[in-house]
Amino acid sequence: MSSSDGSHAPRHPHLAGHFDTIEKQDYAARLGMWLFLGTEVLLFAGLFLGYTVYRHFYHETFHHCSRALSLNLGATNTVILITSSLFVAVAYWAVKVNKKGFALFMLALTILCAIAFLCIKYVEYRHKFQVGELPGKFFHAEELMQYPAANMYFTIYFLTTGLHAFHVIVGMSVLIWVAKGIWKGRYTPDYYVPVELGALYWHLVDLVWIFLFPLLYLI
Amino acid sequence: MAQATTTDTAHSKAGHKDHGTKRYIVVWAILLICTALTVWTGRQDLGGANIVIALVIATFKASLVVLFFMHMTEAAGTNRIVFITSFVFMLVMIFGVFGDLWTRNEMSLPSAAPSTLAPEIQVPGEAPAHHE
Repeated sequence: MSSSDGSHAPRHPHLAGHFDTIEKQDYAARLGMWLFLGTEVLLFAGLFLGYTVYRHFYHETFHHCSRALSLNLGATNTVILITSSLFVAVAYWAVKVNKKGFALFMLALTILCAIAFLCIKYVEYRHKFQVGELPGKFFHAEELMQYPAANMYFTIYFLTTGLHAFHVIVGMSVLIWVAKGIWKGRYTPDYYVPVELGALYWHLVDLVWIFLFPLLYLI
Repeated sequence: MAQATTTDTAHSKAGHKDHGTKRYIVVWAILLICTALTVWTGRQDLGGANIVIALVIATFKASLVVLFFMHMTEAAGTNRIVFITSFVFMLVMIFGVFGDLWTRNEMSLPSAAPSTLAPEIQVPGEAPAHHE
């Protein structure tokens, strides 16, 4: 089972049959992940475009509706996501330098941050449902009725933050799966690409929120 | 032994060096400062400059995340091209649509409740009769 270049090094235990070398496999995995992240950017770009168009037409409405969101909760969630991004970056570093326990601890903190983010999001959504700041025809918030297209603001609010929250859940699940692999000793300084790709996905979740926060809360 | 040497070389070839955690913490601190800054500027009344400042800060923050947390500085050239291309096409889409918006009238709303439809929202030339 030597590699095809004729060297006598044993085949890497995580090398799939259709790759010559582990470097080629890592290269392909990274390229695939960046391609996927590119499509994620374009997915959110469609929603950002919708936002841009309606904000262009209903500038005043968007301004007043953004004041209906809780800046404190939004800013707290921003800090939580940025901090979780730090934790996952450090976890990735820890796997590379063979600090298994520290990596697991950092991933646990990341997942806790994700849960905290979702809890705060839930508090925000619950309030929106209570006061009727809802998308489209479900909108019935009296104090914002005077502004045209106020329901459109909340359509965009729920679509963008909802899709983002879905990404938080997916990212959290990926990180739990990565943590399981680290726990079982599958990811080591010799083979850590899955940890790297999981972390990349989590950073993308942070990246999207970095734009969503000022556009929804601070206009 | 031979195995370890091979993979070590492989990974340093892929460009993933060990920088320690210091740079992550520095980036994190800058991100937090920028968040505080954007919250503060967001609450000032700067007219049209508000959105520009917010987007400049957000783009700066996003660049830090991509470059250092996502290790774009060390990524292979192909991966950089792939990711940057997606941003280029996002800008093409947004500015392409804006070319349209600047030369056209306001749009109607898809599903507004009657009470939220302001009288001035009509589409001249295209407005259905029941709007009048």
